Amino acid sequence: MAGAATVTVEVRSSDGKPLAGAVVLIDAARKPAGPIKFDYAYEMAQKNITFAPHVLIVPVGSTVTFPNRDKVRHHVYSFSKPKRFDLKLYGKEETRSVVFDKAGVVALGCNIHDAMSGFVLVVDTPYAIQTDANGRAAITGVPAGAASVRIWHPTIRTPDNMLSQPATVSATGYSTTYTIRGR
Amino acid sequence: MAPLNRLRSSLPAWRFRQLSTRLVVLYGMLFALCLLSIAGISQIVIWKNARDTVQAELSASGSVYDRIWALRARSLGDSASVLARDFGFRSAIASGDRPTIESALANLSARADVAQTFFVDSAGDVIGNGLPELRHAVATVPTTLASGRRDAVIATKKGVFRLIVSPVLAPMEIGWVIFAIPLDGGEMTALQRLSAIPLTAAILQRRGAAQWHGGGGRTRGDAALDVFVARAIAGERAPSALLLPGGWAFALAKPLAGPTGKAEAVLLLSYPWTAAMAPYRTMQIGITLAGVIGLILVLLGSRRLANGIARPIAALDAAARALEEGNRTELIVQSDDEVGRLAHSFNLMSAGIVEREHRITHLAFHDSLTGLPNRTYFREQLDAGLARASKRGESVAILCLDLDGFKGVNDTLGHPVGDVLLRRVGEILSGLAPDGVVSRLGGDEFAIILDHRGDPDRPRALAQAILDQLYHPLQVDGHQVATGASIGIAVGPGDGADADTLLKNADLALYLGKQDGRGVFRFFEPALDAAARKRRQLELDLREALHGGQFRLNFQPIFDLKKDRIGGFEALLRWEHPKRGNVPPIDFISVAEDTGLIIAIGDWVMQEACRQATAWPDHVRIAVNVSPLQFRNSGFQNVIFQALSRSGLAPNRLEVEITESVFLEGESGVLTLLHQLRAMGVRVALDDFGTGYSSLSYLRSFPFDKIKIDKSFVDSVAHDDSSAAIVRAIVDLANALHMETTAEGVEDSEQLAELRGQGCSSIQGYLFSRPIEGSAVMAMIAEPMSAVA
Repeated sequence: MAGAATVTVEVRSSDGKPLAGAVVLIDAARKPAGPIKFDYAYEMAQKNITFAPHVLIVPVGSTVTFPNRDKVRHHVYSFSKPKRFDLKLYGKEETRSVVFDKAGVVALGCNIHDAMSGFVLVVDTPYAIQTDANGRAAITGVPAGAASVRIWHPTIRTPDNMLSQPATVSATGYSTTYTIRGR
Repeated sequence: MAPLNRLRSSLPAWRFRQLSTRLVVLYGMLFALCLLSIAGISQIVIWKNARDTVQAELSASGSVYDRIWALRARSLGDSASVLARDFGFRSAIASGDRPTIESALANLSARADVAQTFFVDSAGDVIGNGLPELRHAVATVPTTLASGRRDAVIATKKGVFRLIVSPVLAPMEIGWVIFAIPLDGGEMTALQRLSAIPLTAAILQRRGAAQWHGGGGRTRGDAALDVFVARAIAGERAPSALLLPGGWAFALAKPLAGPTGKAEAVLLLSYPWTAAMAPYRTMQIGITLAGVIGLILVLLGSRRLANGIARPIAALDAAARALEEGNRTELIVQSDDEVGRLAHSFNLMSAGIVEREHRITHLAFHDSLTGLPNRTYFREQLDAGLARASKRGESVAILCLDLDGFKGVNDTLGHPVGDVLLRRVGEILSGLAPDGVVSRLGGDEFAIILDHRGDPDRPRALAQAILDQLYHPLQVDGHQVATGASIGIAVGPGDGADADTLLKNADLALYLGKQDGRGVFRFFEPALDAAARKRRQLELDLREALHGGQFRLNFQPIFDLKKDRIGGFEALLRWEHPKRGNVPPIDFISVAEDTGLIIAIGDWVMQEACRQATAWPDHVRIAVNVSPLQFRNSGFQNVIFQALSRSGLAPNRLEVEITESVFLEGESGVLTLLHQLRAMGVRVALDDFGTGYSSLSYLRSFPFDKIKIDKSFVDSVAHDDSSAAIVRAIVDLANALHMETTAEGVEDSEQLAELRGQGCSSIQGYLFSRPIEGSAVMAMIAEPMSAVA
């Protein structure tokens, strides 16, 4: 694909340390044709009384499964606007599924276990990835041109915990560093 | 020592009349000072103790409050979080179901008993029923509240509120449930009840940068309070004293953290002084009571002590004052300490003073020689006696007694014998007049006061008895002394109502008695007084005459029968008084002699006679009579010398005429003087020869230049053979002794013929001439004299 470049984003926390687990989203100038797909299962398991993974990025319209791999029951809910749901108590090896039909951040909780917290980021862009342990995220194949770079992390103290910044992706790629202010 | 010195130096400012008062005040003050310091120290100790106790209590209460504060926060937080975690509540929030949220909040309010409950979502929207000010204030709290904190205290216009914040998690924070608890009177009362001690809790609100004011008017805004709170905010945790509207109090300020950590309100815990000191009140009262009792005891005790010291001293003081006023005082002091010894010494001293005083008094009123009362005492007694007599209508008689010839006794036998004689006379008088006051007035003068009641003859009888007794010679120191006495008697108040007059009149009577002849007594008569007055006037006149030149000299010629010419003049004194006229010498010479004026008059005569005689021819002498008194005067020789040298008269022209009486007081001195006069060349004539003692021994003792034959012989010389024989004998005697003779008082030629026949050298008398004025002398000398013969 002509004009595809690699965008590299480095996210740092307010103390300057690399922030792992932040989500970098790029709304490119041109949307790719065809449905967006990620090469991983759209599954938010409950294991060891945590959500696994902690953050799950899925395209709009995806159906996400919520398998219970613990021996205890869970009651997963969301009060987030993009998708409100409530999976009443279900037991071990039981799987429920929810269709996320709107883009946005959906915060997950368990009504039984207050400490459990998870997020499903429903995106309408294929260019979305989590930062690694070094706080880096590299996205390939981004079309050159005007774009918008969005960073999400629970600690970002904005509505939706989202930062947004316009960027121009050149043919040679784009590289930037975010230092977030937050807790 | 310094305060004591200051005390002492300040004491003289108060004058105490009594030693005991001074002691009591001093001791009282010292003890009061002592008490004050004890009270002061105990007060400080009490204060410290109270402060420590209250501080500990306050600190403890502060800690309790902290814990309660935290507990409350947790319990309220728990209540809030129950709601915050409620699935339905969260669901309501998520779906924006406002009525449900409000009803849930109301339900929570009721459950937790909190009036103001709010929900704030992450966008800052506030849901809940509550005060508008509070709604506004709580909106920003969740976002400004420091991380981890769940509560904060905010100050609003409606008061101070404590906010308990509980987040609503879904599971992220989607909002906050907030309890707002007003920190009002009720809350404070609730806090106060929790304390062990009756604390007062109040909330102070920030007003301005560093000013604080209390809620509900319980504390006022002032600088001290601001400083106090500022210190507390700066980290001061210890309670300290603070002046509050209700008075001094121990206080502890606890800053209440606001949302940002900065205190907007302060919890002020205070404990009033009076309450803190109350437990010590009984102790203070006890100390004060003990002090007052102690002070009273010390005052009583020191009064007792002071009296013990001061009473004998006061007695001494009183005794000394009494002694000063002349009263004999004896102190009775039992103590044998210094005061006792002092009193003993005082008694001895007092006795000594009284004894000496008696002696002095006795000396003052008594004659030391005879032991009889003296003149002073006599005067007093006489005054008293006269006063008494006049009151009772009685009379007082005084007898003045004078020894005759006492001077002779002193001169011949010596003063010791004279003194013994006076003592003897004193004893005799005292013996004779036991009913009278016998005094010695001085010299040989004695006086007796007789208060004779009923016996008017007593003075006379006593006088006679005295004279009879003294008539006999007295045996004195082995000498037979024949002494007599003269007595003058005056009876008051007839002869004098006062002592002076009576004494004077008695003296006058005595004087006249002496003149009448010694050894008699005489009563005073008023006539005597008149005579005496006359004499006194005469004396005054004489003095005036002497100074006023009223005296002059007349001269009677002495005719020299041998040479048939005037051989001299006898100077005769004439006094021409302006009022009395011509006063004959016989009237005034005796007064002049008595008063001593005769000496001055004699001097004048001598000077004047010599002065006038210088003008006369050289063969004419001047004869001047000299009175015995003048002659015996020690300056007489000098008077002659001066008269001669001033006038320039040749000494042999001056003839001094003396009478035999000059020899009466002893011969030797007279003879010496006569010889001295003779040595000067002055002639000496013996006047009035034949009338006195006419002792021939005088003629042998001194070679007189002339003898003057007394007129009594001359008067009858022509007709009486015996007179003629005496005259002849005198003339023959004189011739034999180579003395001239002058016959005085020749009045007729028969006398002259007889005298001339008998060989008399010169004559004097009216036959030849009466005394003439000085101015006529020269003319007479110039006259032919033969006619006379």
